[in-house]
Amino acid sequence: MPPLEIPREKWIGRVNEVTLGGNGRREIKIGGESTLPFLHFDGSIPNRPVVAIEVQDREPLDWPPHLVSAWGEALRHPQTWAKKAVEFGADIIVLRLRSAHPEEGDTGASEARESVDRVLSAVDLPIIVLGPEVTEKDNEVLVAAAEVARGQRIGLGNCVEKNYRTIAASCMANGHIAIASTPIEINIAKQLNILLCDIGLKPDTIIMDPTTGALGYGIEYTCSVMERLRLAALGGESMTAMPMLSDVGNEVWRQKEARFTEGVPPSWGDHLERSIIWEEMTATTLLGAGADIVVLRHPRSVEIVKGTIEKLMVRV
Amino acid sequence: MIIIGECIHVISRGVREAIEKRDKGFIRDMALGQVESGAQMLDLNIGPQRKTGPEVMGWMVDTIQEVTDAPLSLDTTNAAAIEAGLKLCRRKAMINSTTAAPERLAQAMPLAARYDANIIALTMRETGLPVSADARIEIAADELASAAEYGVPLDNIYFDPLVMTVNGCQEHAPEVIKATRASKEVLDPSLKTICGLSNISNGALRQARPILNRVFLVMMLGAGLDSAILDPFDGELMEAIRIIGNRDDSTPLGRLYLALYDSYASEEEFDPHIADMSDPEQSDVIKTIRVLENKTIYAHSYLGL
Repeated sequence: MPPLEIPREKWIGRVNEVTLGGNGRREIKIGGESTLPFLHFDGSIPNRPVVAIEVQDREPLDWPPHLVSAWGEALRHPQTWAKKAVEFGADIIVLRLRSAHPEEGDTGASEARESVDRVLSAVDLPIIVLGPEVTEKDNEVLVAAAEVARGQRIGLGNCVEKNYRTIAASCMANGHIAIASTPIEINIAKQLNILLCDIGLKPDTIIMDPTTGALGYGIEYTCSVMERLRLAALGGESMTAMPMLSDVGNEVWRQKEARFTEGVPPSWGDHLERSIIWEEMTATTLLGAGADIVVLRHPRSVEIVKGTIEKLMVRV
Repeated sequence: MIIIGECIHVISRGVREAIEKRDKGFIRDMALGQVESGAQMLDLNIGPQRKTGPEVMGWMVDTIQEVTDAPLSLDTTNAAAIEAGLKLCRRKAMINSTTAAPERLAQAMPLAARYDANIIALTMRETGLPVSADARIEIAADELASAAEYGVPLDNIYFDPLVMTVNGCQEHAPEVIKATRASKEVLDPSLKTICGLSNISNGALRQARPILNRVFLVMMLGAGLDSAILDPFDGELMEAIRIIGNRDDSTPLGRLYLALYDSYASEEEFDPHIADMSDPEQSDVIKTIRVLENKTIYAHSYLGL
């Protein structure tokens, strides 16, 4: 009998390779794969998926105690938090300017400039800055962040249909990367990429955030959107070929499975273990659907997810 | 193919106001305008009209029959309104529509039998709407069984594979085409087929809607579509229907439509290379085919890529 021939997919497309950092800041490349996630036999995966740790500009007062205790005093200042995140193995720091939200402090450009500057000075990892997801405030603080970080190729989000012009202009003027965010909708994801490229952003300066639900909260829909985006990219559709970011911790830690220490059935078991599993499983699932960056909160889930990526990157 | 005019639809503000004011002139003009543009039947979508359904439908049917003898399609979920319309229709009417939900069948099928009306059977159950052509056909088979039970001749059944919008439900489009073909091949006897064409472009950008509609119609005609509820005022759509009907290959666009139609009729893969991509009209058709075949992902600006 002739030896068994394993069928191979022949993809014609490739995910864009995007560089974050540089100009004195540590550089990291993401994307570039010409195969589905971790299927090394069908193509190449030049850059491993990476784990970003989320840092907020103000101490979060609504985090559950078992998440707070993992970080301790570091949560009080974004720069100490970011330094600790480096120790915990972050590949990228995601700075969320949460205090700019009208209901959480309504801070503006000057506070944003200060927070971004502190984090930039504290660590040499690549940075992604996310606004409070209120369009006008996003514009205000992200434009400020872009100016402070000029030339250091940071990521800027949320860049959405409503404000993409402002964010794109700011990225182009200051040499940054747009984090294009869409509401779990494949057609809008593609459309936003087209719009961004139409006004002059280079395709390799865009990262997509197709938005995710947590495990148990619609993650399967996100997975299907991400898989279809990735399949289209590998099939040659350039407007879906942007690498993808999943804002995992943000979703996971608002769900009762991760948050609650009381008022849940005893059969749910140890709450710390459960929370970490929730974050880790959400991240791992999305890595399997094509995420290139997962943003996490708990140091233990960072460790586990990094270990999983390590194993999945071994060619067998 | 039978062209059924879609424009008397409660979603249109003018129609809604005409119903409220019982403005006969507006409805008559709309009916006559569609017939003059080539509609052979008129769809009357009055909405559910929970309180005054029978009266509104009766008024509508009377008003239209004063100016045209085009047969009418009575489009509402209100069974009493359907019956009121059926009593007045002078020509064989269409009931638009039933699903496979038992209570809908129990209301609509007896009416179809009693008044010898045609009836549109949507491929939808109470549990929802499947994607795959096979599952759509399974639903049709159940509806056929129900029709037989209620004594509705199969010749009066119009199979509607339920067109979904390409913006958000893109994976449905090729399955709808497949189901249309399958209803002719798999079911015995084969069924007449119908669709609500404009659904394909619902929610798409206004500039892209007409080309999505007409390219999808050509594909569906190739797959065996017998009739469609559509906008007869859309001149380019009517021109595409004419080109297919007359096999008019005198223009490059006509040849492209015919090639598309033929490839769907013979169930062979369409070869896009016959198109001249330097001609914007032809290149738009090719881009639209790729979207409708679910080969490139729909985005509002797909024609600009």
